[in-house]
Amino acid sequence: MKKNMKKAAALTLSAVMAAGLLTGCGSSDSGASAAKDTSAKDTTANSGAAQSGSENAGGIDLSEHVDLTMYLLGDRTADFDEVYGEINKLLEEKLNCSINVEFLSWGEHDTKYSLLFSGGEDFDLIFTASSWGHYEQTVALGGFYELTEDFIKTYAPEIWETVPELAWSQAKIDGKIYMVPNYQNEFGQDVVAVRGDLMEEYGIKQITNWDELIAFYKACAEHGMYASQGGPWYQYFQSQGLTTTGGAPKSGELVLYNTQDPSDLSFTYLLDWEGFTDYCKQMKELADMGCWSPDVLNANDERQTGLLTGRTAGMIWNLGSCTTYAKQANAENPDWNVTLVDPVSSQPKKVNSYINNGVAINVNSKNPERAMMVLNELYTNPTINDMTRFGIEGKHWEAVGDDQFKVIDESNFGVDSNCNWGWMNETIKRTEFIENRTALDDTHDAMLDAWNNNVKGEHPYDGFNFDSTNVTTQMAAVDAAMTSYYEPLVNGLVDDVDATLEQFRAAMESAGIRDILAEMESQAAAYVAK
Amino acid sequence: MRYRVRNKEGETVNNNVAVKKKGGVKGFFKKVYKYRAFLLMLLPAVVYTLIFAYYPMTGIVLAFKKYTYAGGIWGSAWNGLNNFKFFFQSGQAGLVTRNTVLYNVAFIIINTVTQIAVAILLTEIHNKHYRKVTQSIMFLPYFISWVIVGVMAFNIFSSDYGFMNRLIVALGGEKITFYTKPEAWPFILVFFNLWKGVGYGSVMYLAAIMGIDTSIYEAAAIDGANVFQRIFKVTIPMIMPTTIILFLLSVGGIFKGNFDMFYNLVGNNGLLYNYTDVIDTLTFRALITNNDFGMSAAIGLFQSVLCFITVVLVNKLVGKYDRDYTLF
Repeated sequence: MKKNMKKAAALTLSAVMAAGLLTGCGSSDSGASAAKDTSAKDTTANSGAAQSGSENAGGIDLSEHVDLTMYLLGDRTADFDEVYGEINKLLEEKLNCSINVEFLSWGEHDTKYSLLFSGGEDFDLIFTASSWGHYEQTVALGGFYELTEDFIKTYAPEIWETVPELAWSQAKIDGKIYMVPNYQNEFGQDVVAVRGDLMEEYGIKQITNWDELIAFYKACAEHGMYASQGGPWYQYFQSQGLTTTGGAPKSGELVLYNTQDPSDLSFTYLLDWEGFTDYCKQMKELADMGCWSPDVLNANDERQTGLLTGRTAGMIWNLGSCTTYAKQANAENPDWNVTLVDPVSSQPKKVNSYINNGVAINVNSKNPERAMMVLNELYTNPTINDMTRFGIEGKHWEAVGDDQFKVIDESNFGVDSNCNWGWMNETIKRTEFIENRTALDDTHDAMLDAWNNNVKGEHPYDGFNFDSTNVTTQMAAVDAAMTSYYEPLVNGLVDDVDATLEQFRAAMESAGIRDILAEMESQAAAYVAK
Repeated sequence: MRYRVRNKEGETVNNNVAVKKKGGVKGFFKKVYKYRAFLLMLLPAVVYTLIFAYYPMTGIVLAFKKYTYAGGIWGSAWNGLNNFKFFFQSGQAGLVTRNTVLYNVAFIIINTVTQIAVAILLTEIHNKHYRKVTQSIMFLPYFISWVIVGVMAFNIFSSDYGFMNRLIVALGGEKITFYTKPEAWPFILVFFNLWKGVGYGSVMYLAAIMGIDTSIYEAAAIDGANVFQRIFKVTIPMIMPTTIILFLLSVGGIFKGNFDMFYNLVGNNGLLYNYTDVIDTLTFRALITNNDFGMSAAIGLFQSVLCFITVVLVNKLVGKYDRDYTLF
């Protein structure tokens, strides 16, 4: 009987072990075979220059056919392969190459982006963007091919002519360029899409400044309606002329600067600024009144969910998205009369940094030259650029004159929804032709006109991007400690604002925020001096 | 070599079976030849372990390197102990380590007790169909991913549309905003962990109970033992070895937080962190933006070393009680 028992124990044990081993396999062996062969592939294009006749105007050898791979962010739309099949036909003809596009989905790009490099994946082009698109981190780890001025001029002369000087300087890290920034005037300021019927019901005439916005929030709460999906933090500091600093912790929100005053070269660290205390106290009041759900920190809702489902009276997002979803909401509920308001209308508008979208070349690409030439086509060839934006002419869209387009079928490709933002080109960009204009379209156009007439002056820090390589430890510590306090404060969900602020401050000090600030000051001074 | 075997009386006897040294190397090859069939059978397991358990361990060097893509694991520059710094500098190291250990202790104790209880109850059920159905239903949650469990939890506890709050309001109570009440979360987390693991865990104990010789129960019945005596005097002592082995195995992970569970149930809700933040979630937050492989390797090493020490200590303690129960 003892034997029996031992046998049973042994059996169960082996089962456990087997299970353990199997699950053990799944644990990550982060970046086992890292990319090593950085050298071996310098110049395939320049070798044997005078072979056969297939040369382009620049005298670059294109005799060898190459297949390039490009990584984009997002999900593959139904007609994506068809559209890129057409694009490949043009590329074959012109550059004797084709591109195969892979996608990193929205859910996984945060984790998988770096694995592409550490895992030695064979690809050539990749979408990138400052901060949200991993640009600085990847450069810090040496993942991108350096784009020298000569390289760009040789292989992408049209890009060099198109992209403004400011954009290149924004893309520079340590004096070197690693991405081709997109070129379009995107406004970096959010607006509010708001239910017109509720505004009328609550007696709110307009929302053009902070006080009116707060009045609207309170009115919503009094009528048992949520106003939005969280506290309007950006609207608060933007209404005071401040904006986020590129590369600073928490997407730049922890350190602000006064973008409206070019002579003001100081940084505002949130916890040294009484404005933040004031904001947190106001938010506490709003949250306690019920201006938004107490579950906002856990709700994984998309930004538009609240508005579209009728749970919130408003939605805060950029002008384009607000317009899109306001239209959708109006189509589904004609009586809502959703409109757009700008709660920081008094401030001149900041144009988004051009490196908010861009494309880079993998440092291990076997054909960086051809990759650059392909990018040149995507960026500056109007036919190809239009295709990446709208799809196939005649099927998805049709041209209206030289500079407008009309959507035929948006369902399987969409407009600007296939991560083509890296090669947005203001000089050849078509605008939408709208047939049955609504009041919303007029509001949108009026707002955009007003903004275009009120673009703010250049501030020295607008192109500045903090490089955190020297303070990675402090950055990681700050990131780790921050979430416990920051989001609850910004959404007014803490019990005691002053006490939480005090803890927050202490946590930041011990995490080394002063080192970060000092490093930032010195980098900024060097940047301005240049 | 020293073997411990039990003689017929069940006493432990130490036998020195070390084969006399016969001609060093020659003797070794002779033995290899003699036991070639056994060694061949052992080979796959050894190779497997080397490839999947020992070879990846060389990656530990990453914890002491400033990783760059160009340099890779071996070519990157050494970085001393800098990769460990951020963890202690964040000021949360003590808190998250404490949370990790306390949660794991709670999980181990509560899960083990429940799993044994369930296993015993299941064996006591004599209706075969009822038993099978019960067991399957309890097993099912094991296959649900934590992402889904997170969504389920949100739909139960959310203050606007949550099932709980609907119930409370319907019964005339006041809404409870669970997502701003950290004190509630240890209970919620323990509950979900138990709910998800109990069916799977009890299988081990069921197997152990099935292995108990039925003649013991017969003898006990003849001596007039009732159900409770049968359980407490026969079943539980007989499954003790399994229990302790499983216990030791789970102690091996006591400094590792179950990231899937904590992240999906708690997410980025800083309000709950005092009660719910564990080492793994803290590391995730610290490194998700800057993707520093060295730092994540450092924390992994930190956890592994602590786990290793704990296992050795606990194993020693168990050995004090009864040497037969130790893992190694």
